[in-house]
Amino acid sequence: MAVEVVMPKLGMAMKEGTVSLWSKAVGDPVEKGEAIASINSEKIEMDIESPAEGTILNIAVQEGQGVPPGTVICHIGDPNEKIKIDEPVAVETQLKIDEQEKPKTKESPTLPMGDRLMITPVARKMAQAANLDIERIQGTGPGGRITKEDVQKVMEKRDSIPVNTEERIVPPKPAIESQQQIPVKGMRNIIAKRMKESLQSSAQLTLTLKVDVTDLVILQKQATETLQKYESTKLTITDFVAKAVVLSLKEHPKMNSAYIEDNIILYESIHLGLAVALENGLVVPVIRNAENCTLRQLSNKGKELARCARDGQLPIEDMQGSTFTISNLGAYGVEHFTPILNTPETGILGIGTAYDTPLYIGEELERRTILPLSLTFDHRVLDGAPAAAFLQTLKRYLEEPITVIL
Amino acid sequence: MNRIVIIGGGPAGYVAAITASQQDKEVILVVDGPLGGTCLNEGCMPTKSLLKSADTYDLVKNAGQMGIHLSLNSIEVDWDTVQERKREVISKLVNGIRYLMGKNKIKVIQGRASILSSNRLRIENGNENEVIDASKIIISTGSEPIPLPFAPFDGEWIIHSGHAMSLPAIPDSLLIVGGGVIGCEFASIYSRMGTKVTVIEMGEKLLPGEDEDITSILHEELKNQGVTVHTSTAVKNINATSKTVYLENGDGKLEEMHADYVLVSIGRRPRVNGVGLEENDIDFSRLGISVDDRMQTSNPTIYACGDVIGGIQLAHVAFHEGRVAALNACGQFAQVNYRAIPRCIYTSPEIASVGLTEKEARQKYGEIKVGEFAFSANGKAALSNKPVGKVKVLVNPQYNEILGFSIVGQHATELIGQGTIMLHAEITADMLEDLVAAHPTLSESIHEALLNVVGQAVHS
Repeated sequence: MAVEVVMPKLGMAMKEGTVSLWSKAVGDPVEKGEAIASINSEKIEMDIESPAEGTILNIAVQEGQGVPPGTVICHIGDPNEKIKIDEPVAVETQLKIDEQEKPKTKESPTLPMGDRLMITPVARKMAQAANLDIERIQGTGPGGRITKEDVQKVMEKRDSIPVNTEERIVPPKPAIESQQQIPVKGMRNIIAKRMKESLQSSAQLTLTLKVDVTDLVILQKQATETLQKYESTKLTITDFVAKAVVLSLKEHPKMNSAYIEDNIILYESIHLGLAVALENGLVVPVIRNAENCTLRQLSNKGKELARCARDGQLPIEDMQGSTFTISNLGAYGVEHFTPILNTPETGILGIGTAYDTPLYIGEELERRTILPLSLTFDHRVLDGAPAAAFLQTLKRYLEEPITVIL
Repeated sequence: MNRIVIIGGGPAGYVAAITASQQDKEVILVVDGPLGGTCLNEGCMPTKSLLKSADTYDLVKNAGQMGIHLSLNSIEVDWDTVQERKREVISKLVNGIRYLMGKNKIKVIQGRASILSSNRLRIENGNENEVIDASKIIISTGSEPIPLPFAPFDGEWIIHSGHAMSLPAIPDSLLIVGGGVIGCEFASIYSRMGTKVTVIEMGEKLLPGEDEDITSILHEELKNQGVTVHTSTAVKNINATSKTVYLENGDGKLEEMHADYVLVSIGRRPRVNGVGLEENDIDFSRLGISVDDRMQTSNPTIYACGDVIGGIQLAHVAFHEGRVAALNACGQFAQVNYRAIPRCIYTSPEIASVGLTEKEARQKYGEIKVGEFAFSANGKAALSNKPVGKVKVLVNPQYNEILGFSIVGQHATELIGQGTIMLHAEITADMLEDLVAAHPTLSESIHEALLNVVGQAVHS
């Protein structure tokens, strides 16, 4: 009997998931556990693995189509068997209601199955190289197939539109050889939208500060040494910064806030977001109620979340509701940078790379370790001085590191 | 009235007639001569019949190589039977067309048609005259051989291709003026029948439309068959009384030649006279009737197709144009498509090509990739003792687009079908890298040539 593969529920609040990519087509054999599709919800992209060995019998949800969790997206089974689509499943009933409520899903641009766009191989390559939307080319070949000639006509029409005099004198060389087109979809699409939205919807700016972490490094090494007698984990500078951020936020509640629809929401709890780079994007897992965590707890939770995120196993709850975010590019040797707000949050702290440098302590030059910090904040919520004051508090904690663990 | 009248019963005309009939029109086909036109009666088909006889003679003479021994004295060409067989085959094919006309309820009228007005024609047959009306007229009067300006055809000594295929006996010598497709095919027929053949070509090489590396292989084989080829040589004059041909070669040197027959094959011209073109505002020139891509002439109720519009004078192009003309005349919308027209030359070895030649491709695209595969490396070619020739494929590296195929060798005209499909479907070369070609076949060479484009041919 055919096995149904359903849109998983990636979080309690998830209303809809989108199939961003089918890595298998109807008729393809699949192994149990093999990735068959990528799906994404509001924030996350993950692979769906085949629950069984068999053949993809049908694909019920096309790429780009959003459906509620529980919706059957494909069937896997024996190629000769017939799929019983009308099997009474509670989930499907729910889907039907959903469809009645939102008839707009029917207007999705996705073509129904079997309604292929016909284009010759040469025409397809030419259109791709010229960056033409093949769906808008009129085909005149056999059965309305788009031919090379059809693509050439569109290209000629496009080329004949004079842009300006200069360009007509020196026609731009098409950089066809060096071009590669990557359609923006899935996680990349989500990141693109959110980052642009962040820059367009807030008044963000970045302050930078250098912190002398010479003593912190000594403490971090001592603490790690001691800790490793009992467990295999170690404390990092980032862990200390995270704890110091939590302590500083307590003193500067305006920085632990969000700007939502012309209201500034101050949060009592501190949910700390930690940006984690993935192979083709990034996610921000959240340590909830970080104010109640010890340094060790913060460290362990952060590492656990990062590991889950890299494995693509992060539940969506763990990626929502942060009130302040930390981003770290220190591993790449970056010093200061301008992090982009994880909107609607008011602040994001960028941690740079710690480096040793001679520094005057009184009259003496000493070898000191400097940690560059970059704070991006929303000027709509608070002004430069209070934001700087927050950084100053953070600096104080980190330069007197014993206060972090007290 | 919903009547389509078609003038001319060759490949363009009879296909137009059948197509129009399939659109539920009343169709009248006016034919001045036998059905099937030049192709069937004086062109493609009879020459191929003669070539088949020549091939068979060759095969039998060389049977010893295959271990079949025949007394060479017993092998002879019975020219009368060769001609009789040709007539039988043609007659069978003409009857086939007559059957198709009847089946499609097409009225065939014998006579010469001339257009009186946009909707009216006169048909003359001897002393009888008939005037018929038509809602649309399709002109497909074909073409005829071009004579030398100073020596009209006499059918006795100065002959054209129509005469050449029905000579009373195998001539001792034949001088062919014009080394194009027709000239080369007759050279290939008669030289293998035992005639001493000389070919005079004005251009620098035989078959000016094809690539040098392809035609030189045929040139070499013709020489092996005893053909003398004079390129860059012009016929200056002909004296029919003394049966002398005066030639001038590239260096200005004059030469006299004698032969049993002089076959003039310097091209064919559209039959534009006597149809009433001028009187009915139909634009034309000596190159043919002007039409748009729907085969419509400057007179909107009149269409033209086939050799009479000039362009590519091939029967299969005429089929296509006839269909397009008829569909448009019946009120539908159709356009001609000259994307992938195969060109076939039935010599020994055969030459067939489709798309661009290498010369054309280099002019148009600059840097192109060329893949070749010689039949000498092909097992099937070795088995049949005919390892001459090669397959050449041209690819535009930008899109891996296949630009053209040229094949010289046995069965080239059959093999070209694969290339035609590739060009028609606009398949790219990279799609065919893991194609599986049957073994042992000549077809493998096409795949190997494609692999050779990326330097991965296996058997070369």
